Amino acid sequence: MVALLMAAPLVAGCASPAWDDADYGSKAGATAEAAASSVALVRLAVENEARLTRPYLQTLLTETATELGGVDSQFGAVQPPSQAAVAVRAEITGLTSEAAERVRALLNEVRLREIRDPGKAAADLAALGDRLRAFAGEQPS
Amino acid sequence: MKRFLAVTLGILTAIGGFVDIGDLVANALVGSRFGLSLAWVVVVGVVGICLFAEMAGRVAAVSGRPVFDLVRERLGPRAGLLNLAASFGINLLTLAAEIGGAALALELATGIDYLLWVPAVGLVAWLVMWRVRFETMERVFGLAGLALVVFLVAFFALDPDYGELGRQLTHNPSDDGAATYWYYAVALLGAAMTPYEVFFFSSGGVEERWTRRDLGVMRANVFVGFPLGGLLSIAIAACAATVFLPQMIEVGTLGQMVLPAGLAFGQIGLALVIFGVFAATFGATLETALSSGYSISQYFGWQWGKYVRPREAARFHATLLVSTIVAVALILTTIDPIKVTEYSLVLSAAALPLTYLPVLMIANDPDYMGDRVNGRLSNTLGTLYMILLLLVAVAAIPLMLATKAGQ
Repeated sequence: MVALLMAAPLVAGCASPAWDDADYGSKAGATAEAAASSVALVRLAVENEARLTRPYLQTLLTETATELGGVDSQFGAVQPPSQAAVAVRAEITGLTSEAAERVRALLNEVRLREIRDPGKAAADLAALGDRLRAFAGEQPS
Repeated sequence: MKRFLAVTLGILTAIGGFVDIGDLVANALVGSRFGLSLAWVVVVGVVGICLFAEMAGRVAAVSGRPVFDLVRERLGPRAGLLNLAASFGINLLTLAAEIGGAALALELATGIDYLLWVPAVGLVAWLVMWRVRFETMERVFGLAGLALVVFLVAFFALDPDYGELGRQLTHNPSDDGAATYWYYAVALLGAAMTPYEVFFFSSGGVEERWTRRDLGVMRANVFVGFPLGGLLSIAIAACAATVFLPQMIEVGTLGQMVLPAGLAFGQIGLALVIFGVFAATFGATLETALSSGYSISQYFGWQWGKYVRPREAARFHATLLVSTIVAVALILTTIDPIKVTEYSLVLSAAALPLTYLPVLMIANDPDYMGDRVNGRLSNTLGTLYMILLLLVAVAAIPLMLATKAGQ
């Protein structure tokens, strides 16, 4: 039981290798879906920013920035099996890095005072979310 | 009138005390991924916990001893030790998860990192267990946990698509495979039937000196309070299904899970839900820590309980203290409390037969129960549930490994 308990987080946290381009693409798609989920959540919070407390918003954005960082580093640990996969990696890491940067920027604004232009921030996040979902849709499932 | 108030207060306490970090996490996660398609598991879990909690409460009221005081006597020291080892390990993991949950709630309220709150939560929990009367402690945190009713009200305020939610009751809206669906079904059952609930309920009955005359009050708490607590669990899932599922948002943190209340009622809703989460997790911290002390002390035959002075139950209080320190240390390793919760739920599910089989056996033993042994309905349902729990226990770990813990 103890061994299983200790093994479980390791199993869950492992980035398994990609066997071929299809497998790599599938992992890239899952990464894009996870990032899109985080971006959608932040958009929801930003749209309702005036109705939420600052400590709450700060914590929510910190958690999401950490989540996006985790998604990025977990996928980054998977070796691309071909040159085509290298191009896929460049595209997805570009998108997830952009997502992480946007969330961190919003977090800084909340820490300083409040989100300067919530409407624009929400629209930018919606566009980024659409790009992530479109990328995920192009990958093999 | 006094009796009526006591029953009402007990029921309200049972509702507020039913939801803990496991229920919060499991229901919000499941609601955001599977909508209401796993609501049936909550119903199965609530029927199960009602069935076995009633048996455990009846044993406490009739024999004057908690169920696990009788396990070693009835099953022998070896079987009792196996039971103790499994239940104590899972209880400790649940205690760590509850402390982490209370600290996370404080982070949401203040913006100060939860790791700074963890030692404070542990210290205050220990002080409460040391100084506050059992009944006061149970009532205050049980009633404060009722603030989570905000999830139920928020659900209606969010203007849900009732047709879609109704459809989800019979159709899984997720693309995830069957293994992931069943993994979360197991986790939800583990959340609804967490072993510490029965340890605490049974030992609490002895702390409150239940007798045969209290059977009615005990049954009202179980058969009204627990199902209403289950309704709260479903409300958490329904809020997640309403807010997150249509936008394909998978929640993974406590901060994300409480967002629906903020969207429905703004800052007041958010404050209420965070208060409710803190009360529920802090109350469960006390219950799990006490359950650790109860199980160890009852197995070894030490003096136990809060109805005697700490000096007279020194080893019981030492167990509480050590369990709390170990749980605090575990969370301070920076392990994610939500992950700890998820693993504790699945491991709880794997150990459910070890907890509930002795309850069923002792509730059928006329030497302890006299004319209050299980009736035909209790035994039929109890046997069916034991078969179900055995299947769940066998499937829990393979499902966790096969799905990489539900990923």
